[in-house]
Amino acid sequence: MAKKIDLESIKKEVRKLVSEIAECPEEKLKDDARFTEDLGIDSMMALEIVATIEKKFKVAVPEEQIPTIRSLNNVYELLAKLLG
Amino acid sequence: MENNWDFERIQKILPQRYPFLFIDKVKELDIPRARIVCVKNVSINDYFFSGHFPGNPVMPGVLMIEALSQASILLYAALKPQNAEKHPIYYLGKVEAKFSKPVRPGDELILEVTREKILDNAGIVKATAKVKDETVVEARIAFGVKLPSEDISKIKD
Repeated sequence: MAKKIDLESIKKEVRKLVSEIAECPEEKLKDDARFTEDLGIDSMMALEIVATIEKKFKVAVPEEQIPTIRSLNNVYELLAKLLG
Repeated sequence: MENNWDFERIQKILPQRYPFLFIDKVKELDIPRARIVCVKNVSINDYFFSGHFPGNPVMPGVLMIEALSQASILLYAALKPQNAEKHPIYYLGKVEAKFSKPVRPGDELILEVTREKILDNAGIVKATAKVKDETVVEARIAFGVKLPSEDISKIKD
């Protein structure tokens, strides 16, 4: 139960930071929207998202994992793995 | 050990030259902590003071960002020496900055840069410029690095 609540709050925070960096309103951010094609997130923004996530959640995202992050769902999966 | 960063070595890494080279020396380099401290001695002889501004010399903020960006390149080069050797092209990506005090001739500008995230082809750093322990600029700088091999692979495609 506690873990589930945790994941929801993580999702909320991730959504907020991605919306700020991508300059896209939160309500328009769908969990399965593709970062590049749907949201116009470029490589610089992607790096910023990763750096911000690392700082906020105190995790280290391996360099080779970065290209696999293509949607919010991917971010959640990665964080669940890194924090789990 | 590898801490002898003389002017020649700085020039081997930085593609910038007079009048656009804003690092005089590397004061500290801490590779495990991914932090570099460089110095730019601000002199009345600096060319930009003749226009910025006549009778009231103030170092332009954009040039302080440039100096911090050049220090960032040196940090990248220290952390990724095998990439820096290939003389990549460095691009400025994004800058968030706050300027708190004017910098004038005679000031010693201390440029401190710490890694937030540095990859082979990009980086984000926290950069602070100080004069006598007082912060004059605080910035977060994102940059891109284009390695020559990428050019070759693109041509092949």
